[in-house]
Amino acid sequence: MLQKINIFESVAGSVVSTGPAKCVHCGLRIPAGVSGMFCCRGCEMVFTLIHERGLDDYYRIRDQGASIRSSRPAAVSSESLNFYSHLDDPEFLNLYCQPEAGTGLRTMQFYLEGVHCTACVWLTEKVSEWVAGVRSIRLDLGHSLATVKLDSNGSFSEVAREFMKLGYRPHPVKQDEAQALEARENHRALIRMAIAGAGAGNIMLLAISVYAGATGVLQHYFEWVSFLICLPVATYSAWPFYRSALGALRSRQLSIDIPIALGLSVAFVASFISILIHSKHVYFDTVSSLVFLLLASRYVLRKTQQEALHATRLIHFLTPSMARRKRVQGSGFEEVSVDSLQAGDHVLVLAGECIPTDGIVCSGISALNLSLLTGESRPELVQPGVPVFAGTLNTQAPLEIEVQSFGSATRLGKILSSMEEHLSRKAPIVAFTDQISKAFVLISLALVGVAFYVGFTISPAEGVSRALAMAIVACPCAFAFATPLALSIAMGRFARYGVLIKGADVIEKLAHVNQVVLDKTGTLTTGQFEVKKWLIDADQVGIEEAVYALETRSTHPIARALVSFLKPRLNGREIPGVEEFSETIGRGLSGRIQSHPYEVQALNEELLNGSPNLSNDAGTQIAILKDGNRVGRVTLGDSLRTDTESAVEKLRALKLGVKILSGDGKSAVMSVANRLGVGSRDAYFKASPEYKSEVIGKMPRALMVGDGANDSIALASAYVGVAVHSGMEISMRAADVYQRQPGVMPVVHLIRASRETLKVIYRNFAFSLVYNFIGTYAAITGHVSPLFAAILMPISALTVFGSSIVGTRKLRKIYSQLSDESQEAAV
Amino acid sequence: MSAIYLMLPIALLLGLSFVVAFIRAASQGQYDDLDTPAHRILLEDKISQVTLKKGNL
Repeated sequence: MLQKINIFESVAGSVVSTGPAKCVHCGLRIPAGVSGMFCCRGCEMVFTLIHERGLDDYYRIRDQGASIRSSRPAAVSSESLNFYSHLDDPEFLNLYCQPEAGTGLRTMQFYLEGVHCTACVWLTEKVSEWVAGVRSIRLDLGHSLATVKLDSNGSFSEVAREFMKLGYRPHPVKQDEAQALEARENHRALIRMAIAGAGAGNIMLLAISVYAGATGVLQHYFEWVSFLICLPVATYSAWPFYRSALGALRSRQLSIDIPIALGLSVAFVASFISILIHSKHVYFDTVSSLVFLLLASRYVLRKTQQEALHATRLIHFLTPSMARRKRVQGSGFEEVSVDSLQAGDHVLVLAGECIPTDGIVCSGISALNLSLLTGESRPELVQPGVPVFAGTLNTQAPLEIEVQSFGSATRLGKILSSMEEHLSRKAPIVAFTDQISKAFVLISLALVGVAFYVGFTISPAEGVSRALAMAIVACPCAFAFATPLALSIAMGRFARYGVLIKGADVIEKLAHVNQVVLDKTGTLTTGQFEVKKWLIDADQVGIEEAVYALETRSTHPIARALVSFLKPRLNGREIPGVEEFSETIGRGLSGRIQSHPYEVQALNEELLNGSPNLSNDAGTQIAILKDGNRVGRVTLGDSLRTDTESAVEKLRALKLGVKILSGDGKSAVMSVANRLGVGSRDAYFKASPEYKSEVIGKMPRALMVGDGANDSIALASAYVGVAVHSGMEISMRAADVYQRQPGVMPVVHLIRASRETLKVIYRNFAFSLVYNFIGTYAAITGHVSPLFAAILMPISALTVFGSSIVGTRKLRKIYSQLSDESQEAAV
Repeated sequence: MSAIYLMLPIALLLGLSFVVAFIRAASQGQYDDLDTPAHRILLEDKISQVTLKKGNL
């Protein structure tokens, strides 16, 4: 241990000397009441392990720290270190592992919780050096994916356990066809873009020579070379536009790709004919640079959208998929996948874990946190014989549960299937930007006709030439690539801040939201116990010290709340010793302090009947007894997040209606509603998941913010659903937006930024209109030349490009606020 | 000026070779992960004990 402390000083000295005590391993503040250098036992274990393996360089690399993404390393419990044995199951390997033909190597991908910096890359990849049979480990930091390659001697469970010991909880990722397909599609898009870019650059060099005055054979030579370079650009690279335009025509719909495909193909063919007949209308430079710009903007949007989707897909793994099943023969427990549980199996659920199936407690007494399933903030006491439900959190002591129903038959499963149903019923919303582009398409097609008519009055040949010029100029390219660019900037900014937007159309919907419906527990409030009232008889002394002494010995959420409440009040006073300490789960603590028997216990119904006014207080009541007499009373409850009030105020300032929709009891909901100034008609309490969805379904253009399973159906049926980070990540599948940041503030930023982004899109539209008006006028009067197009097109493109990048002043302010806040969170 | 008839194809061939190289790199998936290589380059294969003792933290 001494050696460890030396290492700790040399390695992490900088962490200690600055500010309040921070955990040597994870750098988080050490919570009150915990002594030593670590915030938790998990961190201490990881530190010891890293040191034993001679990997102290981890801390050096970390502290030189390149970028650090804010996230907390997964806590490790020593019990879970023996598990992951199911990873070596042949059946499991069949699904998750990819064998390499010929070499005997096997590959599996793991999603690792908590990887966030350069040092994590180093540490995880080092695992290959001490685990036998590991050929290589590569970590993809952006996606938190580790690719593990094993030869025939290695076992994946051993690697998984090693990751676990280092504090990165691993989740095997199923290899599916869709992902491989997506990767191939991405490669192809990149190649199309590269060809277009290379083509555009080279053709521009040649075109400049022609514009600068190259004539005769030289001009002809340049034009033919341009044609050859442009051929793959106008065919292979531009293929997606032709395909999408044809698809739209076949289904008789207007799409922005129709005029694009028309413009590109007409310009290319007309230029080719121009070379043959020695005419001056050669547009290869314009064609290739437009194809490049369009492909580039679509690639960026596609990537941003995929990143958000990937991240949400991977968070699925955070929901437990393992259970500890009691062995039928022999003793002990084995880790199995939740899907393989049968009715009648006994499973062990440790404190801090989610209950995997519906069932009945057979042994153990504990308190369950129901908030994710029902929205109720008060913990429920369970003992043998009491039914428990999947998706609730065991907070206090290990429980053994007999499985009754599992999978989709559980209460959670039913909520999920109902959510899926609502999700599939959600009608696609026609984006306003789509409608604009449709108008654009119609007008430009009509103008081609006008140009032809005007030219035809002069001569038929002039009519054809002007119609061609019109088709080229009217190509709404600027608009077509500026919109995706503006949207992907917004999505990218929010993704870096920890808010994942699942689709580009969501931003437009966010801008049109007119009311915000908030879940209470975990969204408006912290979802954790805090002391609200502390009443001690005036003539008593030493109570605070005694209660503190008792409560530091318990891990119950109420005890932790009392400890963190009392610590600053004690102000360093001496804490007496406790004799005969005992804890009765569901009742409270007792012990003898300075020869007085003390008890701290939950007020039960009988006690409540004696003083009826107590029951009006929202929250949990605790009594303090000394020598058998009540000397004090404490009220605990779920308190508001610090930024909730200002966030709600800001929502109102945005002219949004604010409502509360909670599964919690009336008094708890009303006290929050009163503090936030939400009228009693706008606060719904005791709402079941189905009722929540019904209420939301009746509100057009409502944004729902919630966490947990009880909100998932409502999130699916809302106009826009925002899922907030919680212990269980089911709700995010139903939501359009998933925020890793807690609280309502991100929603305020989201709505403001979306409104501004839409403004930028409208502005781009106005710019495009102006340029197209100029182009149209020139085409109809017969003034369009290749040089004219080569100047007008890039200028219009650059204008909207710049406009999208610069955004608006408000938008820049919001974005800089976002990066400030995420930096604060990282510290 | 006639040199250009020779120079232009050579220049284009050179450009083409880069495009081909890019296509190969892209299809091998070299552009799939753009984050981690930037971090990995900061890691030495073997960090000497001397640097550690000097306390270059």
